[in-house]
Amino acid sequence: MGIKIENLGVTYGNHRVIEGLSLAIEPGSFFTLLGPSGCGKTTLLRTIAGFIDASTGRILFGGSDVTRLPAHRRNIGMVFQDYALFPDKTVNDNVAYGLRARGEEGATMRRKIGEALERVGLGHLGERHPAALSGGQRQRVALARALVIQPQVLLMDEPLSNLDAKLRLQVRGTITELQREAGITTVFVTHDQEEALAMSDRIGVMKSGKLEQVGTPSQIYRESVSAYVADFVGAANTIEIDAPAGTAGQGTASIRLAGHAMAARVPAPLTGPKAMFVARPEDISLAPRGEGGGNRVAGTVTGRQYLGGKTSYVVEIGEGITLAVETHGDGHDRHVPGAAVDLGFDPQKTLVLAS
Amino acid sequence: MSGASGTRAVWWWLSLAMLVVMAVFLLYPLLNILTGSFGSGGRNGWAQLLADTTYLEAIGNTLILATAVTLLSVLIGVPLAYLASRYSFPGKSALALLPLITLVIPEVITAQTWLMLLGNNGVITRALRAYDIALPSFYGWNGLIVSLTFTYYAYVYISTLAAVRGFDVQLEEAAQSLGTSPVKSRLKVLVPVILPSVMAGALLVFTMVMGNFGTSSILGGPVKLLSVMTYQAAVAEGGSDPVMQSTLASVAVGLIVIVLFCQRWILSRGRYQVVQGRSARPVPLAGGQALLLGGAAGAVVVISLMPLVMLVAGAFTRARGPVMAWGEWTFANFERLLLTNPAPILNTLLYAGTATVIGMMASTIISYMIVKKRNTFTPLLDYLGTLPLALSGTAIGIGLAMSFNGGWLPLTGTGAIIVLAYVIRRLPFAMRNASSTLYNIPDSIEEASISLGVPPVPSFFKVVLPLMLPAIASAMVLTWAVTVSELSTSIIVYSGGRETMPIQIYKLIDSNLMASASAMGVLLLAVILIPIVIATKVFKVELFSSG
Repeated sequence: MGIKIENLGVTYGNHRVIEGLSLAIEPGSFFTLLGPSGCGKTTLLRTIAGFIDASTGRILFGGSDVTRLPAHRRNIGMVFQDYALFPDKTVNDNVAYGLRARGEEGATMRRKIGEALERVGLGHLGERHPAALSGGQRQRVALARALVIQPQVLLMDEPLSNLDAKLRLQVRGTITELQREAGITTVFVTHDQEEALAMSDRIGVMKSGKLEQVGTPSQIYRESVSAYVADFVGAANTIEIDAPAGTAGQGTASIRLAGHAMAARVPAPLTGPKAMFVARPEDISLAPRGEGGGNRVAGTVTGRQYLGGKTSYVVEIGEGITLAVETHGDGHDRHVPGAAVDLGFDPQKTLVLAS
Repeated sequence: MSGASGTRAVWWWLSLAMLVVMAVFLLYPLLNILTGSFGSGGRNGWAQLLADTTYLEAIGNTLILATAVTLLSVLIGVPLAYLASRYSFPGKSALALLPLITLVIPEVITAQTWLMLLGNNGVITRALRAYDIALPSFYGWNGLIVSLTFTYYAYVYISTLAAVRGFDVQLEEAAQSLGTSPVKSRLKVLVPVILPSVMAGALLVFTMVMGNFGTSSILGGPVKLLSVMTYQAAVAEGGSDPVMQSTLASVAVGLIVIVLFCQRWILSRGRYQVVQGRSARPVPLAGGQALLLGGAAGAVVVISLMPLVMLVAGAFTRARGPVMAWGEWTFANFERLLLTNPAPILNTLLYAGTATVIGMMASTIISYMIVKKRNTFTPLLDYLGTLPLALSGTAIGIGLAMSFNGGWLPLTGTGAIIVLAYVIRRLPFAMRNASSTLYNIPDSIEEASISLGVPPVPSFFKVVLPLMLPAIASAMVLTWAVTVSELSTSIIVYSGGRETMPIQIYKLIDSNLMASASAMGVLLLAVILIPIVIATKVFKVELFSSG
């Protein structure tokens, strides 16, 4: 069942938290709302859930308007950051809670609970209380509890952020697997771009209550529409430059970066005298001075961090501007601090965006 | 019902209703006190207050007494707390009894038992008189300061103990690693961190002494005190003085408000967020040190527990009028109380029971709205709920008596006004207990229930209330304990035949019938303790978990 949001506005007192937001989420897809804290992503999720009233606009589940429907009648599954398991109830009773509210009982209910717990790999822990479970297990129970009622949509509010790195990967796997299996439309809120890229069919990057960009993970990463998106999704060098002349249209333009002339792609028309130069560290190549190819800029290595499979450099290119550069492959750590180097830019991967 | 706003409307109306109820029973009496002080027909209470030096003297005495008792409480409470948290010594476990003492022993009983020891007819006084040693009179400053200090020092002890225990010793070690000596490190690092807690405890004691009526009245003797004069203006036998009672009650309210503002100011300046750290491992004391420090701590505990011993002894001692025949044991005191006049006991059970149930329900609902369902009215509810802290018991009593004596809601002469007095006086206590648990229950629990298809109100009953129950149970027992021993408000609003146990004890002490007073005191302690014992032993309620 798809979700459609039309011109949604949410106001707290006089403060507009979400303004004129429209979005369509395909049935059965995994949609992630990504953004820093305070961008309105959790507010949007809670408005979809029905915990916050929309002041304007409509929310539709599969074509039917739920904007005025109270949360408990929206048939949603919700997973919370702090798990929100009922601490006085056993795992079984937690999972049974939503089924009981739907009038189910007896053997059918017990079978469903058993299956739900089996699916998250916790079939043997039904009699335990939440306090006796690890964080990862708790979030799996919460997931089973949300899915067992076969909700129309699954809503998840930063479900992984309370887990340590290793568990986060495991639970991430469980969530993706179950979501695909059940084919349930899912809205997932996170501030972790890696999570968003790894799990989502589509991502909506939010900024100040608005959707800055909606697209597939590779669109968001490769074709960021703004320096904000590029900077938030993965690391990016973002530097303000003068807008290249005659770039009302799109295409490749010649720009000046710290006095060096170079070519870069302008994916969308620029407005105003200033623009943003955006290049990802791994898209910049590094060679000893004089050995670089075309479209290069001279610089000096000022910092180096060896990270095992790759090396992260800081290179100064003049006018006090430094760029982060990442190198892989053989001898990726061969440039020493102080070395004179050439930075090579792929004109297709180097973007100039509206500032 | 539309979306979340439908249920919000329910809470909106409920909080408005609560606000109206609190305005009627709290603001309206307060307003009556303040307006009453300006009198009518040209008699202004404030002019009279300034003209008559007795009143100014009473205000001065009250401030001196509060200062003295506060300083002594700090001098006893802080070192004791430090000792208890940093050292271990034989008999240390007795210190754990201290928090209970403050709650369990009503202050009238403390005052009474001090009289039984050191009063004109006291055991020690008489024993020394046999050797021609005359003790200074216990009535007046001596008695007031001694008795009130041992009534209230535990508040400083408890708040300091929590702070010292929560203090991260690594800070002290850090100071030492930076080159300061251990003693200096302690002073420089520990003191500023625990100071706000010490101040909080000290200011609590200060306000409690200012509002104290029972001990002040029993032991005050020649020393004029504000609370006692206010009481006398309200219930004087030769006819009360409505203008002066209002004026004096207004002064009492004003003084406490000033102290509370000072407290706010101090706390806002000196609140440190102490990060959860490693707390100190108690250092065992041995030899002379153990004897000295352990002995000092032991003495404090023994003196604190002394009222209990005296009380029990007195209750079972034969008496002819005011004369105690020590050594002759009897059950006659209990028989007399239970057979001839059991009304105070039944009254206490009825009024305090009703008040505890009403108070717990009201404070649970109000706290729930303040913590979980904030709206336009909830900050006001929060303020009004803590307002009784700024009103001395005597002032509350006077306000209620003035407001509901006839008119549209005549309560004077009924049991309802006593119940009302109890609920109002203990509301801040009950609300603080209820809200501290609510803060520990995340909002997401309730939302999880709603998301699973259970409507908001049933969700509250199915998932939030069960989580609150243990805390409600412990708050109920504690509220019961402090309600049963309430004296200063009920003694103003009660009417003949509706005496409660503390009122009866007060009257018996006033008539110098110490044996009967002791017996009633033992019964009062039983009324307080039995629910505590049942709750903790049978129902496994943890009393001080959220404190």
